[in-house]
Amino acid sequence: MSEATAIQPDLEFAQEIVDSGGEDVRKCFQCATCSVVCALSPEERPFPRKEMIWTQWGLKDRLFSDPDIWLCHNCNDCSVHCPRGAHPGDVLAILRKLAVAHYSVPGFLAGWVNRPAMLPLMALIPGLLLALAVILRDPIASTFGLATHHGEGMQYANLFPHWLLIGFFSFFLGLAVLLAGVGAIRFWRAMKNADRTADRIESTNSLGSSFITVVKDILTHQRFSKCTSLAGRRLAHLTAFYGFLALFLVSGWAVIVLYVINPLAETPLPYPFPFLDPAKLFANVGALALVVGCVIAIRDRLKDRSETGRSTDFDWMFLWLLFFVGITGILTEALRFAQAQTPGYIIYFIHLILAFMLLIYLPYSKFAHLVYRTVALVYAEHSGRGIDNRSEQPAQ
Amino acid sequence: MEQKTLSVHLCGGCEISSSIDLEALAQIPEGAECSTHPCLCNDEGVGSLKSAIKSGANALVIAACSPRYKTDEFTFDKCFVERVNLRELVAWSHEPNDEDTQMMAEDYLRMGLVRARKAELPEPFDIPIDKTILVVGAGTTGIEAATQAARAGYEVILVEKNSDAGGWRRKFSRVFPDKPPYGQLTETNLSEQIAEIEQEERITLYTSSVVAGISGQPGQFDVDIRTNGDVNRVRVGAIVQATGWEPYDANKLTHLGYTDSADVVTNVEMEEMLAENELKRPSDGKPIKTVVFVQCAGSRDKEHLPYCSTVCCRVTMKQALRARELHPDLQAVVLYKDIRTPGQYEDLYRKAQDDGGILFTKGDVQSVKNGTDGSLSVDVRDTLLGEQIRLDADLVVLATGMVPVSADGEANRRYQDAQAVIEGGSTGAKLVAAQKTVAELEPYVSESILNLDYRQGRDTPVLKHRFPDSHFICFPFESRRTGIYNAGAMRAPGDTASSRSDGAGAALKAIQTVELAAQGKAVHPRWEDMSYPDFFFQRCTQCKRCTEECPFGVLDEDEKGTPQLNPTRCRRCGICLGACPERVISFKDYSIDIVSSMIKSVEIPDEFDEKPRLLGFICENDAYPALDTAGLKRLKHSPYIRFIPVRCLGSVNIVWIADAFSRGFDGVLLVGCKSGDDYQCHFIKGSELMGTRSDNVREKLTQLALEEERVRIEELSITEYDRLPEIINSFAEEIEEIGMNPFKGF
Repeated sequence: MSEATAIQPDLEFAQEIVDSGGEDVRKCFQCATCSVVCALSPEERPFPRKEMIWTQWGLKDRLFSDPDIWLCHNCNDCSVHCPRGAHPGDVLAILRKLAVAHYSVPGFLAGWVNRPAMLPLMALIPGLLLALAVILRDPIASTFGLATHHGEGMQYANLFPHWLLIGFFSFFLGLAVLLAGVGAIRFWRAMKNADRTADRIESTNSLGSSFITVVKDILTHQRFSKCTSLAGRRLAHLTAFYGFLALFLVSGWAVIVLYVINPLAETPLPYPFPFLDPAKLFANVGALALVVGCVIAIRDRLKDRSETGRSTDFDWMFLWLLFFVGITGILTEALRFAQAQTPGYIIYFIHLILAFMLLIYLPYSKFAHLVYRTVALVYAEHSGRGIDNRSEQPAQ
Repeated sequence: MEQKTLSVHLCGGCEISSSIDLEALAQIPEGAECSTHPCLCNDEGVGSLKSAIKSGANALVIAACSPRYKTDEFTFDKCFVERVNLRELVAWSHEPNDEDTQMMAEDYLRMGLVRARKAELPEPFDIPIDKTILVVGAGTTGIEAATQAARAGYEVILVEKNSDAGGWRRKFSRVFPDKPPYGQLTETNLSEQIAEIEQEERITLYTSSVVAGISGQPGQFDVDIRTNGDVNRVRVGAIVQATGWEPYDANKLTHLGYTDSADVVTNVEMEEMLAENELKRPSDGKPIKTVVFVQCAGSRDKEHLPYCSTVCCRVTMKQALRARELHPDLQAVVLYKDIRTPGQYEDLYRKAQDDGGILFTKGDVQSVKNGTDGSLSVDVRDTLLGEQIRLDADLVVLATGMVPVSADGEANRRYQDAQAVIEGGSTGAKLVAAQKTVAELEPYVSESILNLDYRQGRDTPVLKHRFPDSHFICFPFESRRTGIYNAGAMRAPGDTASSRSDGAGAALKAIQTVELAAQGKAVHPRWEDMSYPDFFFQRCTQCKRCTEECPFGVLDEDEKGTPQLNPTRCRRCGICLGACPERVISFKDYSIDIVSSMIKSVEIPDEFDEKPRLLGFICENDAYPALDTAGLKRLKHSPYIRFIPVRCLGSVNIVWIADAFSRGFDGVLLVGCKSGDDYQCHFIKGSELMGTRSDNVREKLTQLALEEERVRIEELSITEYDRLPEIINSFAEEIEEIGMNPFKGF
């Protein structure tokens, strides 16, 4: 028998869970209904029952190094069937939020980003940085001989030249990716350590094939489709996901057009893309999808969800941000076509602030699930806890 | 014996007339009026019975439905009534208008006629009855019993060994609630209850007192109450024993650290600490940050207390909530095997769970050891995730269970008897046996509580785990001593609410005893039976079998060993009658002769191949109702059997079995209640005794060159009516295989 685990019932951790809305974890009397009804839980060491017990025991480190809290897709079948009203789905959601804060660097930012009271400050920072960029635009342009005028009339590039915008965002996005990467690596190591300490198999599938499996899974939203209690979430997430992906790809294409194709081409492609350009059409459809996905999600979350997962600030802040990024993006475009100069520039500026907040605060907000869930899914696949292994595992 | 004038009435209702030829049946009674009526239980039918009585009949034979139905209609003052069960036993369970069915009806009628001729109407004994109720123990249960009995108008004597009434609740600063909302702790309302018993004129409270001796019988108990050396003799009619509980001895729980650390306490000690309204570490007086409660400390454990005391979970919740009220920074951890919060107390559990500072987790506590910096270290295994965990604690509370404050009267007596043999200078096998008994009983011996002057021991017998014997579903509060009722935690572990309802229930039982005794009637289960055993002493050989085998300690002995009857102790089961080898014991309406004559009245056809005959002795309590139900369900059974209802299988005297075989019966079936630890026998030991006696019977059969399979004993519960036809038929088949009784026709 392995060494006894020292348990220190941690009032502070318990309080943290309670403060985040997980007070019901105490109601759990550990019947395991949650693990039985969960369609995503592996047969070996299933979740969320063990996470409920660990939470009661205050085993913070073990919870944060547990990929399972990310295998959960929050469909809340467990909360619906819980005979005790302990809401395992909510508890896991809170654990994910705390895990993001735990791994992110610097950690305090997670506290700021997700608190509505800090919203003005969190908006002020990108606002000031963007204003500073506008002030520094001409000096930099003259020093390096860069263009500041991109055409007559209403041209957003006249406010933020392409080089400035791309440079600015590339720098901060790079920083965010770097910091998120640090968090991801810390998480990966923690999971590996936990398995090693517990003497478990570390890998069954290669990393590459695990990654491919996970990407396929994400693209098809296969896991989401197993939910029964909140079946509508798959549609919302899928729509917003592909909308965001389309916008992200077109943004990348724009950079390629501006700085790779056009400098080399005989006849440069028109930029901004004309309305009927396939890339533009793709982006517009993406923007609509993003907004529609957000609307469905917001509508769902505004319903009474006392049984099917309650929403926290962590959820709301991210969702509204995503929604307004989409809305301001569409407005920005519309105002350009309408040649409404002043409101156009104002909305554009706001759009940039919001986009900044979405992308740059990624390691700290709910957006981080993009990183942590992917990492956890790859790790689970890699260590044989993937969803496809579920039915193939011999019953024990 | 009064001259019997019989009047026989056959009922044709309920399919009887369509299945039995009543005209032919009416030829059976000779020398008695016999009439047939289409429906005897209607007004006209009952009228005809009344007019028969009016014209001089003093014994009616009513051949109709089971004696378990229509008892009001067919009961008449000063007239013996014999019921012949033609409906359930014959018409409903056999082929209509068959030769065998007709023969069966005739035999049952013959048996009824014989019994009606031989049996007499019982006359109640008449002795002066005192109706005072004695309550031993003035705790929660005793106070309730005394209060309820007094409110019902009875004088009560309440005896308490401590200097104050109140029992354990005196120590409790809070109790868990006994009414909604179940989540709120309440203060004990003990003082109001004590005030009531002090003000109640009918209650006499003796504190610092014990029962030094009880002699006599219900309605005539002489009780010696010793108060500080002075002895008072009082007379009472019935007794409620409410002696309560004591905590399991935590010194035996060495693995839980009770003997090693002052910071390991029992839940009772925790109760005392909480009453101080401040918790401090007992060892050094430092504040307490973490309290670990160990549930089932010694409970549900074969080595200690094998049972669940039902209250410890709730006590722990109460204590944890109270501790958190006193010290909001304190963290409580409850380690449990299973949480048991019966009924509405789930709300108390929820309340404790919702408290941020109380953690419940399942596991088996392996050890409690001294840890570092003066704290304790608790090792837990078999947690829900299968891993071992370790917890640090400033205070460990062991939730110890309840041990009844009872004395094993039978064990004490056997022990003393064996001691007497040893001291009397016996040698050889006798000495060895006595020494063995002494060694075996040593752990069960204790000081007497009631000090009964009974042949069978000075206290009520106990069954499992020192709880007094009583079938808790059928006969709550009953002990095996008539008129002495057990209540509260000494009967079964329980909380304040259950103790109080026990107290009230036992008080009502005690009242029933004195009231029925005053009328010369029996208590449950032979409710209102007025017959009682009569001894033909000239033939008694002082073998003591009746005094030993009576489950209720009814019989004492004089110096020579002659049985002395205490009629109000008697439950009228007839086990003494079954036990007596000299056949000197009889009841007015139930005797060796009556049943023997019934057996002999059955016509035995000679040609075995066609018509074997089986005799069934069937217990009136559960098996006979089951047979009725089988009839009601129209389940068919062998037409070759004839049943005689008996008061208890234990009341079957083996001479009847011998009579049956000499009469020519081919087999004897005995059907009674279940015996064993979870017995259902209404007289506790009846079917068990029959089991023992049947060994002798089988031996006798073998000596007579008869197959021992010719006698079969079956145990049945009342719900197993569907098994009964199967039992009868398989027995009939077996006997057919064995073949004819060679004594037939001699």
